[in-house]
Amino acid sequence: MIKIEDLSVAFGETEAVRHVNLDLVEGEILGVVGESGSGKSVTALTLMGLAADTARVTTGRILFDGVTLREAGSPCDKRLYRSYQGARMSMVFQEPMTSLNPTQRAGRQVEETLRLHTGLAAAERKEKVLEAFRAVGLREPEKVYASYPHQLSGGMRQRVMIAMAVILEPELIVADEPTTALDVTIQNQIIELLRKINETQKNAMLFITHDLNLARRLCHRVAVMKDGRVVEQGPVEEIFRNPKEEYTRRLIEAVPSRMERRKDIREVFQEPVKGDFRNTKEEYTKRKVAVSGAEERTSQESAQSAAPVLEVRNLSVYYQDGNVSFLSGDRKNWQGERLSLRERLSGTKKEWVVSGADFEIYPGESLGLVGESGCGKTSLSKAILGMNCHIQGEIRHHSIRPQMIFQDPYSSLNPTKTIGWLLQEPLRAAGALDKSRAMTKGDMVAAAYDMLRKVGLEESYFSRRPSQLSGGQRQRVSIGQALITSPGFLVADEPVSALDVTIQAQIMELLQRLQQEMRLAYLFISHDINVVYRMCDRIMVMKEGRIIEIGETEEIFEHPREDYTKLLLRES
Amino acid sequence: MKYLGKKTITLIMTLFLVSVAAFLAFQIIPGDVVMSILGTEATPEREEQLREELGLGDPPAVRYLNWMTGVLKGDLGVSYRYSKNMNEMMPVAELIGDKLPVTLWLAAVSLALIVLVSIPLGVLWVRSGSRVLDAALGVITQATMAVPSFFLGILVTFVFGIILKFFAPGGYISYQEDFSGFLGYLLFPALSIALPKIAMTARFLRNSMLTEVGTDYVRTAYSKGCTKRRVMYVHVLRNAMMPVVTFLGMIVAEIVAGSIVIEQVFSLPGIGRLLISAISTRDFPVVQILILYITFVVIFVYFLVDILYRVIDPRISGK
Repeated sequence: MIKIEDLSVAFGETEAVRHVNLDLVEGEILGVVGESGSGKSVTALTLMGLAADTARVTTGRILFDGVTLREAGSPCDKRLYRSYQGARMSMVFQEPMTSLNPTQRAGRQVEETLRLHTGLAAAERKEKVLEAFRAVGLREPEKVYASYPHQLSGGMRQRVMIAMAVILEPELIVADEPTTALDVTIQNQIIELLRKINETQKNAMLFITHDLNLARRLCHRVAVMKDGRVVEQGPVEEIFRNPKEEYTRRLIEAVPSRMERRKDIREVFQEPVKGDFRNTKEEYTKRKVAVSGAEERTSQESAQSAAPVLEVRNLSVYYQDGNVSFLSGDRKNWQGERLSLRERLSGTKKEWVVSGADFEIYPGESLGLVGESGCGKTSLSKAILGMNCHIQGEIRHHSIRPQMIFQDPYSSLNPTKTIGWLLQEPLRAAGALDKSRAMTKGDMVAAAYDMLRKVGLEESYFSRRPSQLSGGQRQRVSIGQALITSPGFLVADEPVSALDVTIQAQIMELLQRLQQEMRLAYLFISHDINVVYRMCDRIMVMKEGRIIEIGETEEIFEHPREDYTKLLLRES
Repeated sequence: MKYLGKKTITLIMTLFLVSVAAFLAFQIIPGDVVMSILGTEATPEREEQLREELGLGDPPAVRYLNWMTGVLKGDLGVSYRYSKNMNEMMPVAELIGDKLPVTLWLAAVSLALIVLVSIPLGVLWVRSGSRVLDAALGVITQATMAVPSFFLGILVTFVFGIILKFFAPGGYISYQEDFSGFLGYLLFPALSIALPKIAMTARFLRNSMLTEVGTDYVRTAYSKGCTKRRVMYVHVLRNAMMPVVTFLGMIVAEIVAGSIVIEQVFSLPGIGRLLISAISTRDFPVVQILILYITFVVIFVYFLVDILYRVIDPRISGK
């Protein structure tokens, strides 16, 4: 029904999509899988007539039910497209947070599709929208109808987006990474919803994702894209069972999976280590003792063998909520404690986001912290690093200058500075704080070059700027920045979740190598339980501000105690 | 409600501080009011008498209190300069009450021009996508912004008054006599005020909209089959208005406080001209009240802008 024939799309001189052939029949879900820059989104947007005006179709054409929508050489016929968009073809976008207009009520935004394509009266339109809301599993359709997007959760917004896309039962739905921005439990609900819609409405669906596993769960067929080309295409199970292309195989392998044991890393540890780290093996053994000892801390031996780098005792973190009125009758906080006069006068109350966290991290250990967004994992890590002073309880550091690696390597590096400057900055800061640690300029430059090598970048990167680096390279710089003051302890907040899978694997490898070389302890935060599995010795599971389960990685994966942990494991 | 209370308290405190500052300032400025009123007719007896009449004999704190209680009761004092007739001095309230409508109407007409022209212009600018129009509007707005307002006033007078004869330059028509004639006359000074502001607002709106047109929700709107025009007016405009509203607020505060230059050029008897003459003749009661008025206007307009924010962007009040 939908045919993309020999499609090439170029921006200026660079070709983003090269000779792509795809076709879709009624009721079929085709997955387009590829990493960022593979051309999958450009293909989808061109199909939808939403690509930027600067995008030119240089070869091929797009056919929709026999009608040529777009052809090489001719510009996008917007009038023709408008009669299809929303009515016969629609799109679900990646970011439900930003894809809805923040200043319009959700109902009105969905209703607009009806207003544009049908002659229904206002009351009928509203009834139809409410019906669509019910169909996508929104429990209080009236309330959602009158809500602004910011009043809805991420999952609800994505349901609104889907309602908007399916309300006129279009023949084609293009879903561009519709679950990437959502928590795992929500992800599955959305996938199920898409499957249900596909079954009832029999639409053709183009499902774009970077996640092969996701494609495997939903799609009938899969096309793998790389550098603008479709390198492999076929039924999904066939692709998984025997990938013909080297690239497809790499993609499948790069996905962190529980099938893959962490033995490879352990084996590395067993090998004699070169350089200054002769005693690593000993330390590793010691560490193992310490880790297992953590569970029965009465053991004398463990207390002697290794002191933790970080102890957190009964830690609670709160934010000041500025919405308390002095005059209102609300004189108690949610824990039922009376608000103090000061809290009432200043119009703020404490909103607890983490309560009663209690754990420790040992040298050379990776402690994973998993939980869904909003569970308090970032608040906890910020409190540990002293970036949030609204705490109760105790944080005891036994390492100097713990550092942090951030999630988004694109926005966390100052774009106006060179890599060399960025790497030296922590040294300058340390020198300014403590004159005895101040280094000469030459020493700092030398340290920066040294760090470049350690994180696997060439020396020529010293004078480059962040915009000239890829995401993976930038994350290497972030890691270098965190390590240059040789801290014993690092907090890594989702360090790989903004990266493509093959790059993810490289960065995880780097983190593991550095951990072993420098005997680092990590607090490794992630929503991706498979990444945590691969990286961590022990895992903490967090839910609604509390640590509900903590234990050795294998133990947690094989015998989870809490229902929530089981849910997390099952869903991902 | 709580928000309103907070704002009111801020307003009162600011007005109080400004009133003290204004009062103190005129204690420090050199020159004796009594002497300047009496001029050559000064004799020690008359000086003494006038000083008594104006209450200048009391210590400053007492005078401030007297003045302030008067203001709070609605008695704004009397002008040192203007007199109603031979025996009576001109109350400040009456003096300002006479001039205020001129300034307020001038502001209203200017604002209407600014909003009605700049918003469609800004949208058109973004919507057209034509390079020629883009460059032309760029040059025109730049030039309009750069011309000083007094010169623009002269230009408008020359073009519309002398060449086209749409109005009689200098022939101000009082609003008490002929209201529609008054508005007709105001159109031209309002145009002189509005032109550079239209250019600035249109530019502002264009830039603000350009940052919005690349956002995800705009793409969503197109994916539903919206026309470009609909996307611009229904989706983009409201989101792009935030910075523009701030800017419009600044403009309103400025013109409601009295456009000194334009009132001068078009010989309009408004607040701006009154302020100038009151300052140059040391008519302190008038100046003090005008300062309080301007302060009040500025704060009140910003308060309105704040309210508008909440109307435009539901996320603000939701927090």
